[in-house]
Amino acid sequence: MEFLNFVLIFATGYLVLRRPERERLAFGLLVTSCLLMATLFLIGARGSILPGLNY
Amino acid sequence: MATRNALYTPLTLAVLALVVGPIGIAVFILGFGLGDSPCVLCWAQRTGMVLIALTGLFVIRFGPRPRYIGLAVLLAAFGLYMGLRHSSLHLWRDVGQGFSAEILGAHTYTWSMFIYWVCVLMMGALLLVLKDGEAASEARRLRPLERVTLWLFLVAAAGNAVQAFASTGPPPYMGQGDPVRFSFNPANWVWSLEEWAPAPVSLRGRWAIEKPDVALASIDPAANPLANAPVLPVSRRASVALPLDGPITDLAYGAGTDRFLLTTEKGLYITDGSFGRVLRHTVVDTGFSVDLARFAAGAFLASDTVLAVSENKSFVILREHDNAEAAANYRYFLASFDKFDEVSRSRFTTVRAKMMYVMSAAFDPATDSVFTVTVPNARVKRLVVSRFDRRDMTLSEEFTPVLAPGSGLAFRSEKGSLDSFYVSGAAFANGKLYVISAAFGALLAIDPQARAVVSACTIPGLVRPVGLAIKGSEAFIVDAGGGLTIVPLP
Repeated sequence: MEFLNFVLIFATGYLVLRRPERERLAFGLLVTSCLLMATLFLIGARGSILPGLNY
Repeated sequence: MATRNALYTPLTLAVLALVVGPIGIAVFILGFGLGDSPCVLCWAQRTGMVLIALTGLFVIRFGPRPRYIGLAVLLAAFGLYMGLRHSSLHLWRDVGQGFSAEILGAHTYTWSMFIYWVCVLMMGALLLVLKDGEAASEARRLRPLERVTLWLFLVAAAGNAVQAFASTGPPPYMGQGDPVRFSFNPANWVWSLEEWAPAPVSLRGRWAIEKPDVALASIDPAANPLANAPVLPVSRRASVALPLDGPITDLAYGAGTDRFLLTTEKGLYITDGSFGRVLRHTVVDTGFSVDLARFAAGAFLASDTVLAVSENKSFVILREHDNAEAAANYRYFLASFDKFDEVSRSRFTTVRAKMMYVMSAAFDPATDSVFTVTVPNARVKRLVVSRFDRRDMTLSEEFTPVLAPGSGLAFRSEKGSLDSFYVSGAAFANGKLYVISAAFGALLAIDPQARAVVSACTIPGLVRPVGLAIKGSEAFIVDAGGGLTIVPLP
């Protein structure tokens, strides 16, 4: 899944550089990447979502 | 134009530093060069940094639109959470220990916290130089430095994609908790679905430990893991009928002055040797400085010095003083300000008992040591005896006792253990640590030298005791309501 996310990020960066008229698509991809990143982290951290700080 | 340059030049340099620094170093030097492979959490932290850099490039390309700034703030906030959450996994390890590679003496996942924090600072600084209504409506023409930064970003993104493909695989494979080192050789690639496996979701994880309560202890005699613990006859029963500020939580005896110490949730009461009257008491402000939670244990450290230990292993030491300065003691006590001086207030730190609470404490004058014994909880079931040197109140020994050979004691089954005993009181006598268990109404004697239980008895009619004191050849066992059971010391 991380690979997929970096492919999305690369595509977004390419749009920003070479196809600035596709800003809406680029921003949509950026938001999708952010959500995917957060989802993957929360999957990995679901056993203890809050930091282990001796509550 | 001046304002535009004040925004775009530092922003471009910041994105460039992010791309060449942490992102580039992580993939090209640590990953491709040294074989470092991020875990599933590290991947998300790195991705978050890449996304912040990309959001900066959006600003450089399209101007400081509010949605870019909003997204950057959200990313930085989530990044700080990720850094704290990941670093906290390793907070309690010894110096130098951690996970994976270090940069300048700090592990990579700790660096991300700093980097996200710098990102927040940068965004705040850049917003300060913005003028009202400066958001661009169409794409800017990129300057050479900005174009180079964008190209370098694409190179870093591509490098990360390559490393992610080798280390984590195509979807639905994803990062792993303990990834193998990076390799360009496909024969060494490990793609895993382990993170997709069903697992319980928890907010506090292993830190979610229920508070100790003798009501949680099993009193079913059939559940007693010991097969042949003899019954100890009760000498007599009595009750404590004294004005206390709440239920009793422990009992101790001071042989030098023939007095008892009773503890309540916040109170310490010194009584005469027959529980006839309270000679001295105070109620401690358990919220001042150290969280003393609920006192669960007490002990005499000297004829005029008492110790109260909380269930969370925090403690306070008080010394009797007939003319204590009440005004100075306002901060320490909630009542009876002029009877004690506070000597110290701190915390016991343990290793094996770290994830367990205690309900007992005993003082051994011969070794000048304080002992505590754990109570089991839903996550950790282990009987741990901890010894703390009185001179510095620091952990000096820990062990999980076994049944002493030759004691005649045996478990009911091969899988039997002492872990289900719920030790709610302790006292030291004759070189042995005596403990009373709220589970099974059992009195155990532990030899600290042998680290073994040398005797165990059950006491009929004993229901969920909370404290134990030894006076001469008798053991005084108290419950929360003041009921006393006196038995001969085995």
